[in-house]
Amino acid sequence: MALQAVALALLLLPAAGALILALSALSISRRVVRLLGPGVVWLGFLCTLVLFVDSLQSGGPHDFSYWTWIRSGAFSLPANLLVDRLSVFMCLVVTGVGGLIVTYAVGYMDHENDASYARFFCYMDLFIFSMLLLVLAGNFVFLIMGWAMVGLSSYLLIGFYYWRYSAVAAARKAFVMNVVGDIALVLAAFAIFAQYHQTTYAGVFGALPRADDPWVEVIGFLLLVGGIAKSAQLPLHTWLPDAMEGPTPVSALIHAATMVTAGVYLIGRMHPIFDLAFWAHSTAALIGAVTALVAATIGIVQTDIKRVLAYSTMSQIGYMFLGVGLGAYAAGFYHLLAHAFFKALLFLGAGNVIHAMNDEQDMRRYGGLWKQLRPTSICFLIGSLALVGIFPLVGFFSKELILGDAFSKPDQGGFPQVMWAVGFLTAVLTGFYTGRMWWIAFWGEPARDRPVEHPHEAPPVMLVPVVILTVLTCIGGALQVNAGFDIPWRQVEDFLSPVVGPLPWSPRGLEWIPTAATLLLGGVAFLAAYNFYVSRVWRPWSAAVPWLQRLLERKYYFDEIYDAVFVRTMDGVANVGDRFLEEPVIDGAPTGVAAVAEAGAGTLSLTQSGYFRTYVLVFVGGALLGLAVILLARTAG
Amino acid sequence: MPDYGQIQVGSGTLDARLVLGLAVVLFVLGAVGVLIRRNPIVILVCIELMLNAANLTLIMFAAQLHNLEGQLFTLMTMTVAAAEAVVGLAILVDIFRVRDVDDVDQLSELRG
Repeated sequence: MALQAVALALLLLPAAGALILALSALSISRRVVRLLGPGVVWLGFLCTLVLFVDSLQSGGPHDFSYWTWIRSGAFSLPANLLVDRLSVFMCLVVTGVGGLIVTYAVGYMDHENDASYARFFCYMDLFIFSMLLLVLAGNFVFLIMGWAMVGLSSYLLIGFYYWRYSAVAAARKAFVMNVVGDIALVLAAFAIFAQYHQTTYAGVFGALPRADDPWVEVIGFLLLVGGIAKSAQLPLHTWLPDAMEGPTPVSALIHAATMVTAGVYLIGRMHPIFDLAFWAHSTAALIGAVTALVAATIGIVQTDIKRVLAYSTMSQIGYMFLGVGLGAYAAGFYHLLAHAFFKALLFLGAGNVIHAMNDEQDMRRYGGLWKQLRPTSICFLIGSLALVGIFPLVGFFSKELILGDAFSKPDQGGFPQVMWAVGFLTAVLTGFYTGRMWWIAFWGEPARDRPVEHPHEAPPVMLVPVVILTVLTCIGGALQVNAGFDIPWRQVEDFLSPVVGPLPWSPRGLEWIPTAATLLLGGVAFLAAYNFYVSRVWRPWSAAVPWLQRLLERKYYFDEIYDAVFVRTMDGVANVGDRFLEEPVIDGAPTGVAAVAEAGAGTLSLTQSGYFRTYVLVFVGGALLGLAVILLARTAG
Repeated sequence: MPDYGQIQVGSGTLDARLVLGLAVVLFVLGAVGVLIRRNPIVILVCIELMLNAANLTLIMFAAQLHNLEGQLFTLMTMTVAAAEAVVGLAILVDIFRVRDVDDVDQLSELRG
């Protein structure tokens, strides 16, 4: 009973924070905003810790049903929250990393000297609430509500600088592409209800058939489309790089640590469906692998530091999809946790740099920051190395867990091993683009056109969260050791296995070979970037293959293709509709009625001459006419 | 003209057609007066004239049909006529107070 209240409090605290800030944004003092904005998230974190301790002790899932929301014939929908180890795991990420980022934002957003300050924290708290609703939902309706509301808060935060056209366009793009996924998710829920007549997770999973059938595949693919759109996987990924228009803490929280990993959560949460739906499940892995590779290649040529991080986010989420798509759920979620640590660290570090560089985001105009922004540089380096997967940082363990599990999965025509090979190649590319980012931005001499000559390190409120994330990145690897090594220390797997089950295959014992190769080649690629971009000992690779550089810089022409296929088509349809439907029919009907009424009134008003005797004449004439009619009728009758 | 018979007036009789004819003459005088005269006071007088023409027919038919309702209704009409005259004159006095009007055609602000 007490736990039930804690779970509800966890959900409602950020909602209350958002509501208070929304209602009083114009009058509330900044001091209160500073306390309230991050405060409710940290209170939520405390609630999560209570649930976490309970889940460690009892382990059992709690399905807290608060009341029956809708009951109509066979349809019954309880307002229930599912608190099991998976949702507690996600809540820890959302409120923990979220708390750090929102705290960081207190400093980062400080130059907003009007009501926008409160507005920002209102949106952030709204996002935290939505994300918690998404992960705590115990039924499909709550899931869809949370799913749509994270999209909404993402939209609001990308378009936070609403006076900038590019921000508004990016927000709209993100929203539209997210809605594609929302629709797929809603359709999936419809299909589930039509097939199994259940709304709660427990009910649905209990009603699933024993073997694969077409409906399960349809549901699986619909869920997958929802996950792809939210997690910016191919081919619904183009919104994520543009979403970097939002303030940097937003990029860290929503577009790196939490919201974009919702697709991974969805697949993990729906694992009973995906375990049955072979094709949908394998497609998830395939999409993850392709996205990981494609995003990593694009990341090599980006010049905006946040866009490099955005593409690396896509790439890393591709790894998670690869993991959960192959059935290695714990590996996927471990990488989710690790990624939340080091990618939030990288974004916040980048935020410190951007702050110090007067909002300049082009990293070619940085250079030489290592000497001037030492604390941020060290943290950023650790984050970068974790991204590359260098021992003993958390990224090494989590990425190796995914790649090792893929490597050792028993043959399905070699599919997992192909996925592993793609992941391996991506890891090398990751080393290269991360190295490029690090060397260009922080090493070497300051760029000639650097905006600030003597940058200042960020204030403590921004530096401390970065340092905490750095520490987490350093020690997070202690949670789990790759199954290939004969060390029985698998905290993440053990924690999550009551929900997602244990890994259904056992390791081959050879995983250390690919692990060593990945570590080695990733590290070499990281160092090789130095010779390309700082010392320039080696000729730029793009000189040899300019067409490839062009292809990557145009991001494989995804935006251009979508523009031609969808945007232009819709514009054409809209123009036709405007000309032939909107103007003549929809506008035409009311304006036509108004025009007829106006003309009629104009004509009639001519009779209103204002002369008394005209009226009398008409009156008398009318009376006489009436009399004449009566008399004539009588005479005729 | 059809025969409307006789009505009893005191000890003698009177041809109803004469009375109706007088009423028609009075009514037409009033109506034409309203139409062609421009002095508001005269228009009011002409309206009274038409009302009284109607009263005359009412009384005539009441006497002919031995029905008191017609006479009663005449009293009612006279009351209404008095009230109407009061209101009309009051309006006229108000208009005169604002501006010097001796022609109703000058009061045509409400034209469409």
